[in-house]
Amino acid sequence: MSSTRVISVDFECRSPRRLEEALEALNEEGSQVLAGGTDLLNNIKINAVKPRRLVYVLGIPELEFISVEGGRLIVGAAALLSDIEHNRQVVSRFPALAEAINVIGGTQIRNMATLAGNLCNASPGADTPPILLVLDAEVEICWSNGGAGAQRSRLPLGGFFTGPKKTVLKQGQMVHSVSIPLPSEHSGAAFRRLARVSLDIAKINCAACIERDGDTVQRARIALGSVAPTPVRAPSIEKALESRRYSGELFQEAAELVEEDIAPIDDVRSTAEYRRQIASLLVREALQEAWRRSGGKE
Amino acid sequence: MKTAITLNVNGKEYPLEVKANEILLNVLRDRLGLMGTKYGCGIGECGACTVLLDGKAILSCQTLAFTADGKKIATIEGLEQNGSLHPLQQAFIDEGAVQCGYCTPGMILSAKALLDINADPSNQEIKQAIRGNLCRCTGYTNIVRAIKTASKKINDQGRE
Repeated sequence: MSSTRVISVDFECRSPRRLEEALEALNEEGSQVLAGGTDLLNNIKINAVKPRRLVYVLGIPELEFISVEGGRLIVGAAALLSDIEHNRQVVSRFPALAEAINVIGGTQIRNMATLAGNLCNASPGADTPPILLVLDAEVEICWSNGGAGAQRSRLPLGGFFTGPKKTVLKQGQMVHSVSIPLPSEHSGAAFRRLARVSLDIAKINCAACIERDGDTVQRARIALGSVAPTPVRAPSIEKALESRRYSGELFQEAAELVEEDIAPIDDVRSTAEYRRQIASLLVREALQEAWRRSGGKE
Repeated sequence: MKTAITLNVNGKEYPLEVKANEILLNVLRDRLGLMGTKYGCGIGECGACTVLLDGKAILSCQTLAFTADGKKIATIEGLEQNGSLHPLQQAFIDEGAVQCGYCTPGMILSAKALLDINADPSNQEIKQAIRGNLCRCTGYTNIVRAIKTASKKINDQGRE
C-alpha cells in the first residue's frame, strides 16, 4: 500500500560522522544515500524505491562545503541549495546558476535539498543540469575501497546521466562534489524555464553560455531539459554559432536548429508539439541574455 | 530496529526511540501531541507541515525523524510567549489573514524564518519566502499584509 502520510517499507538508518564510514555503509546491497530527502522520500512513499538501508550524508564535514580552489567552484554533496544560491562567489560569478537554483521548489525545499541530489535524482526536467552542462561542470564520484580508503574519480556531467532517473553511479558509489571552472572575463550565461505555475516542475528549461571575442561568438554552449531522456546539449546550435559575428538574426537562425538536437515526448506537464515549438524561442532568449552578460553589444 | 534520538522542540528536550522510517511530522503530531503542524499533501508541494529546523523553514513531512536528532525544532505551539501571541500570530488575526486556518501554522513559520533574517522585507521578498506555502482560501493579499504589519510591530518593539 502506498501513502504520502506514512512510510510502510522498513529499512535501517545510519548517520555516519565521516565520509569513510558513510562509504563503507553504502557498500551493502540495497543501501542508498539520503541527503535532503525531498525526492527520495516521495519515491519511497509511492513504493518506487525500496531501500534496505539509508545512509544520511548531510552534516558530514568532508561533504559540507562550497569553495573556490584551483580555478574552480567546488560544491560538496552536502551543500544545501539555499546556501549555494546565496553564496557570494556563486552570486557574483555564476548568477545564472543562482537563478536556476532559485526556481527549484519553495524556500523549504531549497533549505533541505542539495545540488548533488538534484543531479542524482536524474530527472530529465531538473533545473540545474542545463546550466551546469553549459558551464562545463564535472562530477566527482567517491567510493570505499575496503582498507585502501576513499577512491575518487571525476567525469564531465554530460557522461553522468544514462537515462530518465538513471546515472552512472553503482552500488557503493556517491557524488562527492560538483565543480565548475571559473568563467573567463568575456563570458556570460543565462537560464530560462517554462512551467505552469512557479512552483511546478519545468515543462522545458534551457541554459546558454557564450564566450565572446569582441563582436564574435568564440564558443557557445546550449543545453536543454525535459526534451529528451536526459538533459542534453544542443551541438547543432553550438556549431552554427562558433566563430560567427553577432547579430540578432544569427541567434534566431541558430536557435531554430534546436529541433535537430531534441526528442521531446508528451507527458503530464506538456506535449511534444508544444516543447518543440517553444524550444527555439527559449534558446534564443537564453542566448541573447548570455551575450548581454558576456558584455556583448546588441 | 529503533534509534535513540533527542528532539529539542520549542526549547524542550524529548528523548525518543524512533524507527528509521518514522516521519518527523508524525512524531510531532502523534507522539508529542503537537497538532498545530499539519499534514497536507505529503509530497512537498503545499507547505502545511512547515516547521523550523535550526531556524530554517523545512518540510516535516519530508524529513525522517532520525535526521533531526539533536537539532532545534520550532513549531507553531512554541511561538506564544508567557500567554501572549507572537506579533505574527496577532497580525494574522488583525489583518484577517486566516480563513480555514489549515495553512496558517506553516505560513506563520515561513514568515518567522524570513523576519528572523530580514527585519523589514519588501512585498516581493515576503512572496518569495511563502512561495512554498499554498493557501486555497485567502488569495494571499491579507497574508502578505499581515507579515508586513508584524515586521513593523517587531521593529517598533525593538526600538522601545
